[in-house]
Amino acid sequence: MKEDSQVASQQNAFEKVVEFVDERVGLKNIQAKMLNEPIPGGSRWAYAFGSVLLFIFILQVVTGILLMFYYVPSTDHAYASTQYIIHEVDYGWFLLSYHFWGSSAMVVMVFAHMSQVFLWGAYKKPRELVWLVGLALFGIVMGFGFTGYLLPWDQRAYWATVVGVEIMDKTPIVGDFLARFLKGGPTPGQMTLSRFFVIHVMVLPAALAGLAGLHIFLFRKAGPAGPFRGSPEELKAKTDYFFPRQIWKDIVAMATVFLIICSLAFIEPVVLLEQATPDPGDYHPEPEWYFLFLFQLLRLKIFGGEFGQFLGAMAIPGAFMAFLAALPFLDTSSERNIFKRPVALIGWTVIMVFILVFTVSAIINRHFLD
Amino acid sequence: MQPKLTAKALCANTEVGKISKIIVDPLSHEISHVIVQERHGAERQVPIAQVQEVVNEEEIVLRCSPEEFIQFPILERDQYVTIKEVEIAHLEDHLHVEPGEILVPLPRLEQGVPRRTFFTNMTHAIGTLIALPLVYPVLKYLMKPMFKPFDNAWFTVGNVKKVNKENIGFQFKFTRGFKEAFMPEQQIEKNIWVVKATPAVQQAVYEGNDKKFYDDKGDVIWVNKANSPYIGYSGKCPHLGCGYKWRRTKNFPDGVFLCPCHLSIYDEAGKVIEGPAPRPLDVLPLQVDAGGNVKIIDVEYKAGVNNQIRLL
Repeated sequence: MKEDSQVASQQNAFEKVVEFVDERVGLKNIQAKMLNEPIPGGSRWAYAFGSVLLFIFILQVVTGILLMFYYVPSTDHAYASTQYIIHEVDYGWFLLSYHFWGSSAMVVMVFAHMSQVFLWGAYKKPRELVWLVGLALFGIVMGFGFTGYLLPWDQRAYWATVVGVEIMDKTPIVGDFLARFLKGGPTPGQMTLSRFFVIHVMVLPAALAGLAGLHIFLFRKAGPAGPFRGSPEELKAKTDYFFPRQIWKDIVAMATVFLIICSLAFIEPVVLLEQATPDPGDYHPEPEWYFLFLFQLLRLKIFGGEFGQFLGAMAIPGAFMAFLAALPFLDTSSERNIFKRPVALIGWTVIMVFILVFTVSAIINRHFLD
Repeated sequence: MQPKLTAKALCANTEVGKISKIIVDPLSHEISHVIVQERHGAERQVPIAQVQEVVNEEEIVLRCSPEEFIQFPILERDQYVTIKEVEIAHLEDHLHVEPGEILVPLPRLEQGVPRRTFFTNMTHAIGTLIALPLVYPVLKYLMKPMFKPFDNAWFTVGNVKKVNKENIGFQFKFTRGFKEAFMPEQQIEKNIWVVKATPAVQQAVYEGNDKKFYDDKGDVIWVNKANSPYIGYSGKCPHLGCGYKWRRTKNFPDGVFLCPCHLSIYDEAGKVIEGPAPRPLDVLPLQVDAGGNVKIIDVEYKAGVNNQIRLL
């Protein structure tokens, strides 16, 4: 007892508080468990994507909350309040532009993260559930992009939503209900804005936070996959813990992404078009750049007509997502080396080339239209 | 093997110490060393291969002699962490050490499985009973604005004098009131296209039949005569709902309706010439009064389907 009180008197006030909390919560063990995660084969820059995504999301939450201090989600005020944020509020233009470019960064990172997991074969047993929850997160990120795009209520926002909802209308059986549910009526208007707003700022953030937590929990439960090459002895020799080397790489990657998003916000700040109205005027409607390939795909004659459109807008993307979900159960070989999985490597390359070609041709088509 | 921690370690029938710790390989989850604590407290790190036999939970036998035993290195504790301080996935599942079970008495009231099952089921049932009655009100609450009666009001969109050439698309912009839920009525801008059709184009549009328009009860609200020269098209592209334009292009010097979104092209009769559109442009209920005012009903149809399905 005497020794204990001596030890206690040597602690400063802060250490005493930490001690108090730790005794009740087990903080030190939690921290140790979180930081001391062995990474087979050692830390790598390639493992930074997931952490960077979490970082981008946190800043999207922060900037999103700040934007809501001025933004009003009504058809008669959404546009004016967004213009007010851009032109009147100190640094409003920056926060809005950061939020805008942050969403693009999120999509790019999701792409990189999924590609890496695919190429590393890290979706395979025992990480199937990590992959499945990851796919759901991918859907949520896309949902964020789609719902957030409407909120400024300018022409760009309006028409991307008109077309997007018409596409959802083509979902078999529930399509009409889904489209009316999202629009909150037969045509887009106040109810659409209200619904997109609540989905964007409440439903999706809650879903993303919950599923991201589950994703990380499942990942920790299964353990990191590590590199796809190297003997157990080599991997063991190179193994280090999540802290400090991986966290260092993560924080450098986060800072880099942060600087890139800031630069984009400075170089290309958000500029609104005319206020939304069902007459597009001279504006040529287009979705956000990461949906351009799908947009271009729907221009093809073979995806024309009612059935073709269903094929291009619903069946093929739906089948592709279903395929990705089934992937860890279809591809049960334990081989993870991408250079020994020719089908996977070729498949990934083909899809990347397809997306690239269709995106570029959509951009080229812009000039043709003008 | 299941050596009990604190089991005695014997070398050639001589007790050299007690097992105090074990070291596990984090990748294979196999035991790599046992730590034998000598009587005076020093801990030596003995490779698992040196374990000759696990006699029972109290005793293990090492291959080495007592002289060889003291050659084993002293455990350097700072090179290791306990499994409480590190997260190794599935370590417990694979660990070949059974630390034994620590038991606490089950309270008397908790003994008896059927009652526990009963409570589990009741919890689920009550939860369902709370949730179920909410489904319908919540659904109705969310669905309130989804279905509305059609708006069959006539809007004047401009004067027919503007349409001074035949078989050319002329845009009429108009503003209409739009009342939604609690919101004050808002003025929204829309547009339609009007073509002064030659008899051939009239034939192409109407195929000789008057076109009837219906309200939501199925009653006829208006009939466009098959020989009426002015044809109004809804400004909404029947492909996916964008706004199309009248354009002269290299391939179509006389002009066509072109949608900039997915590049559907329609002729002056609204027929699809090129692109992905599933049906011709939507003809609106249209009348021209004695003063030449063009009036329409602002009908909207669902895009992307072969048949016209009225939305507004």
